[in-house]
This record gives sequence, C-alpha cells and structure tokens, in this order.
Amino acid sequence: MAEDALLAELRALRDRVVGITDTALASRDGLIITADTVDINPDNLAALAAAAQGLAQRMAAEAGKGALREALTRGSGGCVAVYPIGTVALLAVVGDEGLDTGRLHRESRVTVQKLAELLGGAGPGRAHAAAS
Amino acid sequence: MTAPRRKDPAAADRTGAPILTPRSAAGPASGPGAAAGGGASAAAAQPSLPGPLFEALLDCAARRVSGVIRVTGDPGGAIHLAEGAVTAIETPGAPGPEVLLLRSGRVPEPGWAAAFTAAAPDGELAPELIKRDLVGTGELEVLLRAALADAMFVLACGQVTGCELAPPSADVLLPLVPPGGVGWLLAEASRRIQVLGALPPAIGHDRDRLAPAPGRVPGAALGDGQDQVLALANGRRTSRDIAFATGRGVYAVTLQVARMLASGVLVIESRRAAGPAAPDPAPAGPGPARGEAGPARGQAGLLPRRKRGASTRPGTAPSRPVAGLADRSALLRLLRPGSGAENDQGS
Repeated sequence: MAEDALLAELRALRDRVVGITDTALASRDGLIITADTVDINPDNLAALAAAAQGLAQRMAAEAGKGALREALTRGSGGCVAVYPIGTVALLAVVGDEGLDTGRLHRESRVTVQKLAELLGGAGPGRAHAAAS
Repeated sequence: MTAPRRKDPAAADRTGAPILTPRSAAGPASGPGAAAGGGASAAAAQPSLPGPLFEALLDCAARRVSGVIRVTGDPGGAIHLAEGAVTAIETPGAPGPEVLLLRSGRVPEPGWAAAFTAAAPDGELAPELIKRDLVGTGELEVLLRAALADAMFVLACGQVTGCELAPPSADVLLPLVPPGGVGWLLAEASRRIQVLGALPPAIGHDRDRLAPAPGRVPGAALGDGQDQVLALANGRRTSRDIAFATGRGVYAVTLQVARMLASGVLVIESRRAAGPAAPDPAPAGPGPARGEAGPARGQAGLLPRRKRGASTRPGTAPSRPVAGLADRSALLRLLRPGSGAENDQGS
C-alpha cells in the first residue's frame, strides 16, 4: 500500500541518520500525508512546515538566492529542516542537538527522490488520496 | 559523570606513547550475553589497534600535530588537536559540553545565551560561564574531560570509513585546557568498551531502541535517574538518544539501561538498521606511506597491524579516504571479561 511505502522511506531516513527524532511528509498546502512522529502533533507540524517552506522560498527569491534547497530552524534543543519535494509536497525532519545537518542534507536527497517517485508526480489531490 | 582519571597511566601522555594493554582476565568468560566476538582469548598478547582512526591519532600524538581529524562513518565526527593532544571532539554520537550543561539543567538557557553573546568577540566562553557563576572551574573541567572520553568511546566503537587531517579550527566552543592525552583517551575508550561488552545483556548504545517492559505495573519511583530514562524510552530512542535528551553521557546512560534491561524494567523494542556500508576497499590515488613505523610506536611496544591501503600519514596533504574496518567488531575481538562492571557507576 502506498502509505506503507512512504512510511518505510521516512523510517529508513531516521535509521540512517543519527539524531533524527521525527519526520513528516506533507502537502504544499500544509496537510499531513504521512508522519513518523511521536510527541509532536503531525497536523501542526505539517501546517507549520508548509508555511516555513513558503516563506523561505519567497525569502530566497527576494534575496536572489535561487531555488530553495532547505529551510532550517535551529532551537536550543535541536532543529527542524524542511525540504521541498517537487512542487506538491515537502519533507520535514526534526532532530536533536547531535544531528549533523550537513549529513542530513546529503542523506535526505535520496529520500526526497524516492518520496517524489512514490507520490508519482501526483497533484495535491492524488497525494491525499494515496494517504487515505 | 564518570570521574576523570586524574592519574594518567604511565607514558600515556602527550608524547604519544599510548598504553592500551588488555585488562587481566578476571577468570573465564562471563555468562550468557557476554562479549560477542569469540570469548576470552589468551590474555598475554597486547592488542593491535585496528583501523585508520587509531593510527591517525597515534601519528598525530607522536608528531604533536595541531589540526582536526575529520572522521567519516557512523557516527563519525571531528577530533580537535593541539600539539598532539585533544581539546574537543564533536560527534553526532555523543552529547557535547553544551548539551551536557543545558539539557541537564546545570546551566539555564538565558544564562548560556548571555555568556555566549558576551564571549562572542574573543571566543572565550569558559571564562564567561565561570564569571557568571553558571558553572565552577573544576566542575567545568570534569565535565569537559568526561565529554571527551564519552565522544572517543562512541567513535572508537562506531564505524570508521575514513580519516582526514584538516587544519586547526577556531570554532571550538569549550576546549579542554590543558588538552587530553591521546593515550589516556584511547585507554578510557577501551575500558568502556570492555565494560559494556562484558555486561549481560549485550546492548548497542546506538542501535537498540528501548521501551518500557510490557505489563509493567507503575509502582514506586525507581530513583537514581531511572524514572527519567523510563519516561523517555518510547520505542524509538536508543541509549544515545536518551543521553542527548537528558544531558548525560552515552556510556553512563548505556550502563544504566543495561541494568534496567537486566532487571526487566526496559525491553529492546527494535534495532536500528546497520550504518553506512563500507566503501570500496581499493581506493584510487597514491599508495600509502608504508614502512614508516614512527619511533613512538616502537617505543610503546604497540604495533598496530597495518593493512594495505589502510594508513594515512597525517600532515601530508592531501589525505585520501582509506578503506574502513568496522572498528567495533575488531575491538570486540579484543574484549576481556570486564573486571569493573559491577563497580562502574558511570555518572
């Protein structure tokens, strides 16, 4: 089932990169598709990640910095990274203080690619259908 | 925190003559769940030090190198050296001083932020923390030494796919001054690996995901930090994750987790899949500097088993990635039954 495959990709990323605590796959308009979270509300995370991505994208454009690669939020207790997936989705990754964000950025490429394939070049409607 | 070794083993000093002798066997190999990797072997032989990480460290110590050894692998990290001794280690595998101070509650976040800001121009954070009474001088040194030992331990039993020497970095927030000797650090890492390897049950500090034992009736508080560990064991966190979440050392948390597993409070819910695969063992590029046994190694009587293509000569540029050994499995082969497990409280 499609959602199992999506979740498997999220879990594989968490296994591969030490320090990831939670991940979520969301649509561009902030709706959760699949979440691998605990203690974080996935709906809130999806909505905020989409907002963060949208803002970061506009910031990058405004500053003339090209296409958005990563929106990174650092806190005293860890970080949240948001990666665009094509034009329809995004990947949010939450990590603790030990997360190597450089390593995460590299390792997330494979996951983003696989998630994009699984979402199948879908429009937002199909992406939601795959999850339900 | 583990109390630091105030008395360094003889000759485990900054001249880089390391001592890494096996603990004398306390008896036959311990019972079920004892060290994986083949049980007790003849105690007489000195262990050879496998892997590019140890060779790089010994070389750097012998040559009093200042720089950063960038270790690729799982967890990998960076070892900062000043004249052959270690000032700091950064690794995703173990909490650094900032996490140890903040997450444990020893230093409140606003205080840290203020000290950090004040120290920003000249980078001297330690004096700012001490001046503001956020941490004592002695307390800070103990903590920094413990953090170093913990980080070296996780590097030593992690997977190393390469070591490269880079120029010194000015970016170390809280360096240990005076720096820690390579010999002491490797001996301490070896001791910790032996202790953990001898514990029943064997536990992977960065692999085994922990959960409360099912059907456990919540009773009186367990005390001694166990309640905090139990609360954080959510089926996803490893001992390493719990260490980060609590601001404690990975080794200390793993010891406690092992006891809680043995007493039936915790169970291993699942395991992380293996880390990155070993790289192609036939790297392109100039051959390694063979036949260059440094004088320090001969003096120490400790001859690392050199493997073809497995050595780098720090200080020559450019270092290339070397074929990796899984240092952990090689180290596990050296394990002796721990003689200090029952007394080792960690911290």
